[in-house]
Amino acid sequence: MRLKLRKLMDRALTACGYLAVGVMALFLLWVLVPVFTKGVGAYVFRGTMEHRRMMLGEFGRGDPDRLRAEAADVWRAREPIYKAFAAFEQELDAMPASRRRELRPAFRDVREDVAVLLGPEPGAQLPALTRRMYGQTRWQEARKKANAVLFEETWEYNDAGSRRVLVPRATQFEGTALAPVFTSIERDLEAMMRPRLTVYPRFLTDHSIDAHFFGGIGPEVVGTLYLSLGAMLVAVPLGIVAAIYFQEYAKEGPVIAFLRSCVNTLAGVPSVVFGLFGLAFFINTLRVSPGKSVLAGALTLALLVLPTVIRASEEAIAAVPRAYKEGAMALGAGRFRTVATVILPAALPGILTGIVISMGRAAGETAPIIFTAAVSVGQLVKPSEVLTQPTPALSWNLYNLCTEHEAVEELRHVQFGMAATLVLIVLALNLAAILLRARVARQLKG
Amino acid sequence: MLLSPAARARRRLAEMAGRGVLFAVTSVAALSVLAIIFFIARDALPFFMQVGVREFFLSTEWYPSHQPPQFGAAAIFVGTFLVTAAAVVLAVPIGLFAALCMSDILPFGLRQLLKPVIEMLAAIPSVVYGFFALTVVAPLVQDAGRWLPGDIQIDSGVNALTASIILGVMALPTIVSVSEDALQAAGRELREGSYALGATRAETLFKVVIPASISGLFSAVLLGIMRVMGETMVVWMASGNAAQIPKPWYNLLLPVRTLTATIAGDMGEADQMTGSTHYHVLFAMGLCLLLMSFACNLAGEWVVARQRKKLRGG
Repeated sequence: MRLKLRKLMDRALTACGYLAVGVMALFLLWVLVPVFTKGVGAYVFRGTMEHRRMMLGEFGRGDPDRLRAEAADVWRAREPIYKAFAAFEQELDAMPASRRRELRPAFRDVREDVAVLLGPEPGAQLPALTRRMYGQTRWQEARKKANAVLFEETWEYNDAGSRRVLVPRATQFEGTALAPVFTSIERDLEAMMRPRLTVYPRFLTDHSIDAHFFGGIGPEVVGTLYLSLGAMLVAVPLGIVAAIYFQEYAKEGPVIAFLRSCVNTLAGVPSVVFGLFGLAFFINTLRVSPGKSVLAGALTLALLVLPTVIRASEEAIAAVPRAYKEGAMALGAGRFRTVATVILPAALPGILTGIVISMGRAAGETAPIIFTAAVSVGQLVKPSEVLTQPTPALSWNLYNLCTEHEAVEELRHVQFGMAATLVLIVLALNLAAILLRARVARQLKG
Repeated sequence: MLLSPAARARRRLAEMAGRGVLFAVTSVAALSVLAIIFFIARDALPFFMQVGVREFFLSTEWYPSHQPPQFGAAAIFVGTFLVTAAAVVLAVPIGLFAALCMSDILPFGLRQLLKPVIEMLAAIPSVVYGFFALTVVAPLVQDAGRWLPGDIQIDSGVNALTASIILGVMALPTIVSVSEDALQAAGRELREGSYALGATRAETLFKVVIPASISGLFSAVLLGIMRVMGETMVVWMASGNAAQIPKPWYNLLLPVRTLTATIAGDMGEADQMTGSTHYHVLFAMGLCLLLMSFACNLAGEWVVARQRKKLRGG
């Protein structure tokens, strides 16, 4: 009996272990699957006629002649709507005043909603904001906006709280000249929008138009690359030198112990504190740039990844077989020459692994660059401007788009696209590190 | 070596100079942490001089933009501790069991498969976790109120619970990898000795391996706490940012505000007026964060050192 219980407890432990591991793996899937499946939507989606019109108008891409022919077809589907608008306007003037007062604001709403769906009315004054110059560019959004035309959203309040009620506008305008608008939008939406599977790989490199309503995430991607490369440019030499010193030169003593414990402490500093430090030191004290800049951000990130680079390089140097070093020494090489010509080349792949992982970390960090480098609305930063200009970056702009932007819900596809791109960059760097490490392991085995 | 005395002297001089340069660079890298402490403290001090410690730590009135401004951060400290504690409570059991499983239960092949899973969990940027919390977890938490038994009202999906869940996930890789190392370090002989005495695997782990590696496990938990406490983006996006002490204090379904999120969120308003009290109070919060992480660091090092001494002595 006793033995049975002990065995049972043993099994229970095994089960708990597997459960914990499974929970962890499931969490990873739970995060990655939505990010990637929805992130793809930024690159591949059902684009409407308006998308092609926007592409031609804003980026000069596409065939103008074919677009004109398509526009003529589309116009046949859309024309009845505008005709109905004109007819209803006349009808409205002839109505009794009370009914007119009731219907005119509703009519204005319908017209506005249709303009959001299909773009500005022909002959109307061109709107100032680019986002209003075109209708819905994505079929998914177009269907939502079509519903906004068809149904009026009202709220019903009672004791239990509020409830959303959709009132069909067709009943509101029943018997008027406007009624056909609703039937035709319900029936002919596809002919009006012409959705077509669209692949938009240049989402990755295009600049954004009108605060990400159209276009891509090019400036953000470039900003992220600047920041992470810049950080590595500073952190790698410092980190490798420190690792060499710790491993090859330092004699254990209180000074070295203190320096080591400083490095450990640096690794534990919260990332937002690095941001504060970057602001207080690089920008407000050293004044490396007049305000936020890529330079200040890269320096801050460099400090953040420095402990990782030092540790990885130390491990790589320590893993170099002792015989290499002794061989070099026996041949009469001095310590410096041994390090430069024998130890470093042998440790290089291991050091590279650490560098690549740190670069992924630098690319994904947000908190340190908020006060030192990132802007939410920004143009592509040219290489000549990195010393003075702030830059948009994937991490910061993802935050900004999904919390502070005016149209958070409408721009979900851009947010997911950014998130997926950022994760992809970071995971690609990590994969490179894993492959490198496998190579090192093979090499050391012989 | 057949070198003239002059050449030998030159060589020695070069060696020493090289050594000096290396030492200088290393010192710069290592001592940057002192610069961080100095500059954070320098900008934090004016706040304590102007407003004083009492209001900051004891008052819950956080109205930095009012006239006159009030800087009571007690609620923000409570929010930080609440979110951290909840995340650690979630992450530690899962993390420790996963580490046990990886070090002693799983076959080698599966373990190799799991390593990349942990690395990927660690590599995903925090802002992506925050975005995930906002778009996927928060709606789920909000809906949970409807089908949970009892009369639980969840007003918003962005609350302490959502943030804690995600923070727990983010702490997992640290906890798992550090405690797995600690468990591995306990060594084969100990385990084999225990098995030879007829102990089952569970008994070996709980009565022999875990006691032997307890200091490593402790430092794994401390590192996890540090990671959670210093995390900014997730709490900023998913904790609701309301500077209030939840009632009752353990109610995770209410929004809270943390130190990191306050720094990140308020600096945008404050940094145009460099030198204002609002600017300095954020540095005071940064200083507190810094001190808390140092405390964790020191505690970790102390435990490891003590254990090492004990093992050597015993």
